[in-house]
Amino acid sequence: MTKELTYLNYLKQDRLPHQWCPGCGNGIILKLSCLAMEKLNFPKKGTVMVSGIGCSGRSAGFFDLDSVHTAHGRALPVAEGIKLANEELNVMVISGDGDLFGIGGNHLLHASRRNTDITVICISNAIYGMTGGQCSPTTEISSKTLTTPRGNVDTPVNVQAIVTAHNCFYARSTTYHFNHAMKCIFEALQHKGFSFVEIKSQCITNDGRRRGFKNSYEMLMSYKENYKINNSTNELEHNEIGIIK
Amino acid sequence: MTKRLLQGNQAIALAAVKAGLNFFAGYPITPASEILHELVNQKTIKVLQMEDEIASINTIIGASLAGAKSMTATSGPGFSLMQESIGHAHMMEVPLVIVNVQRVGPSTGMPTFPAQGDILQCKYGSHGDYFPIVFYPNSVAELYEYTFNAFNAAEESLSPVIILSDSYVGHLYETIEEADYPISKRTLAPLGTSNRHFTGLTHEGSIPETSDPEVHKKLMKHFKTKQKKVSRKYKGYEYIENKSSDILLIAYGALSRAAYDLKEDFAIYRPVRIFPIVEKLRDIAKKYKEIVVMEMNAGQYVNEVEGLLHRQVKRISIMGGKIDLNEISTKLRRIKKKK
Repeated sequence: MTKELTYLNYLKQDRLPHQWCPGCGNGIILKLSCLAMEKLNFPKKGTVMVSGIGCSGRSAGFFDLDSVHTAHGRALPVAEGIKLANEELNVMVISGDGDLFGIGGNHLLHASRRNTDITVICISNAIYGMTGGQCSPTTEISSKTLTTPRGNVDTPVNVQAIVTAHNCFYARSTTYHFNHAMKCIFEALQHKGFSFVEIKSQCITNDGRRRGFKNSYEMLMSYKENYKINNSTNELEHNEIGIIK
Repeated sequence: MTKRLLQGNQAIALAAVKAGLNFFAGYPITPASEILHELVNQKTIKVLQMEDEIASINTIIGASLAGAKSMTATSGPGFSLMQESIGHAHMMEVPLVIVNVQRVGPSTGMPTFPAQGDILQCKYGSHGDYFPIVFYPNSVAELYEYTFNAFNAAEESLSPVIILSDSYVGHLYETIEEADYPISKRTLAPLGTSNRHFTGLTHEGSIPETSDPEVHKKLMKHFKTKQKKVSRKYKGYEYIENKSSDILLIAYGALSRAAYDLKEDFAIYRPVRIFPIVEKLRDIAKKYKEIVVMEMNAGQYVNEVEGLLHRQVKRISIMGGKIDLNEISTKLRRIKKKK
């Protein structure tokens, strides 16, 4: 007998399967969010999903909730407006690294400073996937992308430092560490105040293949090798995943 | 009804509260800051000072969708920053009120001097096609009245409605009667009550549809029809007939106050509803041989008037924020001579 997949109730099932590329991490994060919401018994009426622009921006439209697909980079101020206008609502943001740290970076600085009670799930794949694979604010140094053919020279943004500087909840995980990532979202949703979950995710189509990965399985395995769980720290090293409250 | 001495910006703030404002987000800017200053002292509404104008408009988009009647106020530089999100609000059909107290531009320009350089930006500032409702009152009392109209039109059309002002009218003090005007109720169900998807993508209902041109055509037609229908409800002009003159002088906002001094010599038409342009002007213009549009920019509304009337219209530009009746009269005399 198969177990009924009750978490699917949080999705508009007539809109599935989603339109992301095979091997994309976005679907994993969609499922993680549903599982965390289900575990917390979030009512569908009373929960609002907000997203920005990019591949990740399409997430909001799949949820069977009232959802808003905002302009590029503006998911945070829209989510803040929703929460502040009706504090009864659970407000979640799913967006990408380019949206949240690039074009919308200033809003991250100030939303965390204001400590607005929203949960942000960042699908951090270190690439602008939808536009073909340009360098993003989280692209590692020397990484090759469409716009950095000789390797990226800029330091990736330190999101942890920005969010924790304002004493907000910060968690980092990867799409490989499924249970850990779910725990991060689960705890973030329970946190009172601004909470930020950065989930390293793979884009094989427009990133991995240029960096020598054959498929997204290999990318996931690289997360397994490169990231270690650290549950007892106030500051995560760049190769550590964990939760900072 | 109580009589009260109010500043233009203050009148907008107080009328907004009476019209049901729940949520305001803004960023300090000359000459619009007094609206923010007035509202922070109001106990019944939530007011946020944001990090910039982009955040301001996006916050009120969120707040409005969540059920709060929302407003922001700014001037030219901030209005430019808001343009992308204004288009977004049109696409998602979010009721908002945006106040633009104009100053001399482009760029930082002359922050304390009045101008009318943002007229076309109201209609064409965001990319793509949209059909905004724009009001431009010219007195404190009218700002007060039209703030109600703007909130009502926003609720009825489910779109961002713009109140234009300028640093002259915005900083003007006049005694007004604080009248009560009818208030339109919210029809849009707040977020958290259903499973709708609001998106800036071309969409059909809640479903994004980016490959069918018919869906986009239908959406644009729907926007245009509803904006026209709602805007008709608001009387949008003032007309001072002059049978002895064959010249119709068109002016609005601060500059139209100077035009009143010329009503002995010219017929005067003053649009208050700037967009959609008032079609009644067609009938009025037929009575006059010459139409002159006088504005505080290099010639913006004149193009809209020409487009409506299908005839050549003369233009007078008053630049640099100074309204001088001598300058206006000289320019008008020159037009009279040429005729």
